Amino acid sequence: MLMQISEPGQTPEPHQRKLAVGIDLGTTNSLVATVRNGSAQTLADIDGAHLLPSVVLYGEEASIEVGEKALAGASSDPVNTLMSIKRLMGRSFADVTDVTGVKLSPYELLDLGQDMVKIRTRAGDVSPVQVSAEILKSLGQRAEETLGGELTGVVITVPAYFDDAQRQATKDAARIAGLNVLRLLNEPTAAAVAYGLDQQDEVAVAVFDLGGGTFDVSVLQLTKGVFEVLATGGDSALGGDDFDHALAQWFVAEHKLDSLDVFQQRSLLTAARQAKEQLSSANEVELALADISSTLSRQQFNDLVDPLIDKAIRACKRAVRDAKLRSGDIHNVVMVGGSTRVPRVRERVAEWFGREPLIDLDPDKVVALGAALQADQLVGNRSGDEMLLLDVIPLSLGIETMGGLTEKIIHRNTTIPVAMAQEFTTFKDGQTAMAIHVVQGERELIDDCRSLARFELQGIPPMVAGAARIKVMFQVDADGLLRVSAREESTGSESRIEVKPAYGLSDTDIADMLQQSWASAADDKEARALREQQIEAEGLLQALSAALLKDGEAMLSEDEQRELLAKMEVLHREREQGSVASIAKHIEIVGKASEVFAERRMDASINQALAGRRVDEI
Amino acid sequence: MSEFNPRENYFALLAVPQSYEVNQADLSRRYRELQREAHPDRFAGASERERLRAVQYSSQINEAYETLVSPTRRAAYLLKLAGVDSDMSSTTFRDPEFLMQQIQLREELSELQSASDPEAALDAFYRDLDAAADQQKSIFSASYLEQQFDESLASYAKLQFLEKLRSEAELKESELLDY
Repeated sequence: MLMQISEPGQTPEPHQRKLAVGIDLGTTNSLVATVRNGSAQTLADIDGAHLLPSVVLYGEEASIEVGEKALAGASSDPVNTLMSIKRLMGRSFADVTDVTGVKLSPYELLDLGQDMVKIRTRAGDVSPVQVSAEILKSLGQRAEETLGGELTGVVITVPAYFDDAQRQATKDAARIAGLNVLRLLNEPTAAAVAYGLDQQDEVAVAVFDLGGGTFDVSVLQLTKGVFEVLATGGDSALGGDDFDHALAQWFVAEHKLDSLDVFQQRSLLTAARQAKEQLSSANEVELALADISSTLSRQQFNDLVDPLIDKAIRACKRAVRDAKLRSGDIHNVVMVGGSTRVPRVRERVAEWFGREPLIDLDPDKVVALGAALQADQLVGNRSGDEMLLLDVIPLSLGIETMGGLTEKIIHRNTTIPVAMAQEFTTFKDGQTAMAIHVVQGERELIDDCRSLARFELQGIPPMVAGAARIKVMFQVDADGLLRVSAREESTGSESRIEVKPAYGLSDTDIADMLQQSWASAADDKEARALREQQIEAEGLLQALSAALLKDGEAMLSEDEQRELLAKMEVLHREREQGSVASIAKHIEIVGKASEVFAERRMDASINQALAGRRVDEI
Repeated sequence: MSEFNPRENYFALLAVPQSYEVNQADLSRRYRELQREAHPDRFAGASERERLRAVQYSSQINEAYETLVSPTRRAAYLLKLAGVDSDMSSTTFRDPEFLMQQIQLREELSELQSASDPEAALDAFYRDLDAAADQQKSIFSASYLEQQFDESLASYAKLQFLEKLRSEAELKESELLDY
């Protein structure tokens, strides 16, 4: 391959299709999809089932079951059968005990203060991140077995409403599962992509996504392949599970049952869910727990869930207003999530938007299908009609100021990526450190917002009060994840801070979890780390070779080319013979050496595209 | 034609004439073109450094676009380009009519809670805010064109007040309607 660079006459390697999948990591069910023969399709397991129940059972003798097999444990071993785990992602104990549903959940949650909640199982205390990693791992395996090869990358969907901590937790789970995340994609955006509504000229679309545990509504503007999220809203603790709980609570109240054990709770919830599903077609159902039973009509059911649907409709109203539109401007309403099968939900949505919602695609699969299309494009399998997905940040980012108030730095519904700088100064003579508290949320009081990170700026040169100029940069990437860096401007001393959400995991935590997840195959660990480095080196070399072939002559001097090539040769050798550490070191060296080239290429590619347009216009 | 430089004047970057009146369609079209080239998704397979640069470029394009799309931020930006200090603290109000309007709007806002239909009351409040803002926007536009920057500055300050009221209303909306 490297030989080709020095002989620019040759053509690069023939285009190879890479394996990429979209994963919908859901509260109740998860799915994996890929693009085959030009169309997106979900992948089934060996039994032909597409939906993988998002359930993990920590069984006897250190066994871990995922999906249907784990679900079987729900009634026999509720304490070790973890369900609806998505609701715990990036959440502290205090957060989740307010959430309906989790209160009723049978497993033992550990209060770790500010840290992410853990669940006590017979396999020890597990983090929701580890549980999610098991689900992701299972889907990744399914994909690799079905497609017959290693995955280049995955797109994982998250509710648009997920905050930084929840997104970070999702990304960490993928890392533990050994998946390369190309992008965290918002579920509603994925759904719009799946419907391919981009063919039309400038239309506004609303995506109404009511899943098991979360509700999202997004308003998008679609213009010839560009999916621009105008506004997003919702409730990260509202979903079909709440319908089940409403039914269960009604039943408990009807029969004045006060103390149900965990088995009875689980059975009642299961019965409630079945009743809900039957009421989609039947007018009346029987809801029973052992020998107690009640009849429930659809009208009664509607009355029970209407207050929950009200919440969703209000969020729609707000999202449409945030998008600076009116309900009548919405051209299409896309329905996503199993709970949109409930007829009452469809009725209320149609009523509020004044049009029948789209239900052509399976509401359980639509998100995974959209994610697959995006993954396919991101690995470079799709060329030409490229789509562009412009997401927004769902909640404002701010910092704590005097008196426990919040100052917003980045407002919600701002298109990402986004970077904002804020200047701070010292308030005492000779002050060398300063504490900064980053929060996410809309409220004015700091205590009403979610604490994302606290960090201290250190090494400020001692000066008189007010003389230091500390510039703090907040950068949110396309995944919606925050990074903060700070710089003292008057002396130029810089400190980079990696912001980990307060509820997030440290790198050590992740390393430990990786270790645990490999524990069963300890020998694999070294081999796998080596393989990962080799793949990364390979990817870098390939990307650079192609780039050099195309632009090397034009953008680099002969000396620069020679120097870069020499370093690439070394990496090429290391890739085949070197250790994990030496490959990593040379990846870094080549990365650094190619920096100037990368920047020149970026600048040129943008300029070229713009110049092209100008010619068209004349 | 100039080279792409994300740090240049936002109007130049987005290829629209530098004035308060902007053609939204042109603005959005150019914005999408720029993002098509610079968005990090275009560099998913590229090196870490190229990806980082894409994030920075893309952020700057977003910043430019959001500045020009927002009537208030666009006004502040134009003032900055004209060398006018738009810092609020230096602005005083000597406009009884606007003060009256402010008082009325504040009253309307504080009465929202006790309204029989808070949702409808909120809608009415937003309509009143919009009308008041439209008035200031046309004043800004005309005065800026004639380089009467004192007048532009005053209308910008008023726009900011109205914006602040809007965010207070939004907060109230969240509390009232239990989002």
